[in-house]
Amino acid sequence: MRGERSEVRRDKCGGKGAFLRACSLPGSSLALRVMLAFLLPLPAYLSPLAAQSASPGKVAKSIDRIFGSGVTIDTLKVDTSFVLRVSKTGTLLGFAQVRNVKGKDQPITYLVAITPANVLKDIDVLVYREPYGGEVAYEPWRKQFRGKSASAPLVVGKDIRNISGATISSHSVTLGVRKALADLTAWHTSGRIR
Amino acid sequence: MPFSRCIPLLLAVLTLGFTTVAAQEGETTSVGGYGEVHYTNASGPDTPGEVNVRRFVLYLAHSFSERLAFRSELELEDAKLEGGEEGGEVALEQLYLDYMISPAFTLRAGLLLPPVGIVNEVHEPPTFNGVARPTFDREVLPTTWRELGVGAVGSIPGSSGLSYRMYLVNGLKADGFDAVSGIRGGRQEGKEASFANPSLTGRLEWARPGLRLGGSFWYGGSANQDPVLGTGSFDNAVALISADARYDVGPLMFRGVVANISIADAENINAAYGSQVGSRITGGYAEAAYNVLSALAPASTQRLNAFLRYERFDTQADVPAGVVKDESLARRITTMGLSYKPVYNVVFKGDYQLQRTAGDGGEGEVLSLGVGYQF
Repeated sequence: MRGERSEVRRDKCGGKGAFLRACSLPGSSLALRVMLAFLLPLPAYLSPLAAQSASPGKVAKSIDRIFGSGVTIDTLKVDTSFVLRVSKTGTLLGFAQVRNVKGKDQPITYLVAITPANVLKDIDVLVYREPYGGEVAYEPWRKQFRGKSASAPLVVGKDIRNISGATISSHSVTLGVRKALADLTAWHTSGRIR
Repeated sequence: MPFSRCIPLLLAVLTLGFTTVAAQEGETTSVGGYGEVHYTNASGPDTPGEVNVRRFVLYLAHSFSERLAFRSELELEDAKLEGGEEGGEVALEQLYLDYMISPAFTLRAGLLLPPVGIVNEVHEPPTFNGVARPTFDREVLPTTWRELGVGAVGSIPGSSGLSYRMYLVNGLKADGFDAVSGIRGGRQEGKEASFANPSLTGRLEWARPGLRLGGSFWYGGSANQDPVLGTGSFDNAVALISADARYDVGPLMFRGVVANISIADAENINAAYGSQVGSRITGGYAEAAYNVLSALAPASTQRLNAFLRYERFDTQADVPAGVVKDESLARRITTMGLSYKPVYNVVFKGDYQLQRTAGDGGEGEVLSLGVGYQF
């Protein structure tokens, strides 16, 4: 869904994948932006995934928490997914990605952030929708992931401790983080994100 | 910097989009469930055991929006239900609506699970060792305990690990209490329940990686306006307190629960209904498990838990005047066995149970095998 939205934005502004850069182009008047505000969500109505995302405000807050405030966030497109590129005054601070993973029966929306050296900087659980198991959002559990690289096992019971009574969520989020870290590392190493 | 000036605007634009979307397109329905099949032989190797589809539970949930969700569990016990035959039950285990105002405060209303002990709320077969649930979780904490009411759940902001649940629900009915299973028969389970004795139940929980500690309570009357027992809301009060712990470290897993139930007016209950209810019910269990595969096949993500559990409880720990304490109700149950989990949602189980009491009744032995799943 975010894919469709960004496509539209790129067509209008002619940006090169980085939609936040696009609106600094001369053609994007305030009127156009206001129009876009109402037009852009339209394709999203068609997608059931719409309700399974985190609000941009939540994402921005998470990026601020992880990388510090006053950073610049650009959006890069890799295949069908989006990666947030985080920099400050021209220096690359890292990359982040928002994803969903299935919990017991609801998706858990989480964010994975890495440094330019492909080391996991932090994770955030942005939206948790199940009645039990929300402890995966707590700092003492999340901090186990910091400093991990794609070569780490990232398996509950090995290098990640379970939360008793939140077993499914612990496994789901760990699996999700493992995949996201592997993808981000591969994309960065191969130069698809930089 | 032109970018940075754009960001707030774009974020605002996106937020607007998402808000509108969430209002219109937030609905998802999900189906899940759990089940367990048991083989039980309590009569020795020379006589046949019994095989039973112990539980088949369908889980149906619907999210109307990010904030408002419906959740339910519909259970079939013992495979089928036929008129005039013993066994078999179709029952709602849970049915409630959650309205999330914030992560710290979600309103909940419907058929709720009193949050006491470990197994009552988390009862899916792959979550506990042993084919059957701990006996303590039947005779002392009457799982699956569910009653109708309203309440709130949430995590305590800034506490990093503390969460709570607090419900106001219908009370127990003392006419169902008995000597062997304590308050179990007094549950109303959501069926035309009397609200004569509104009861409070709640739980405070603290979780860290590997550790979860909980404390629970139930307090409420059970007289149900019986003229002999009293018409007050808190007449024949049942006061339950319980504490539990779960701790995982490497391949080792520990869990334990203790509970104490006081029924101060047990004497009146026994007089009114001719029962032998204890005035205090108490007990608990401790369990240790070790994932054998962590030594045999360290690379494997499967689990083979060898476990040992010791339960000790007495439904007549104290008896009121007029009741002669039955020592055979002071039970000591040792269970040892294996749980093989190829994935964490599926389990194959086997265990051996030695049942003893403080009385002269001798020992009982039970061999059980089972399979269970959840999704």
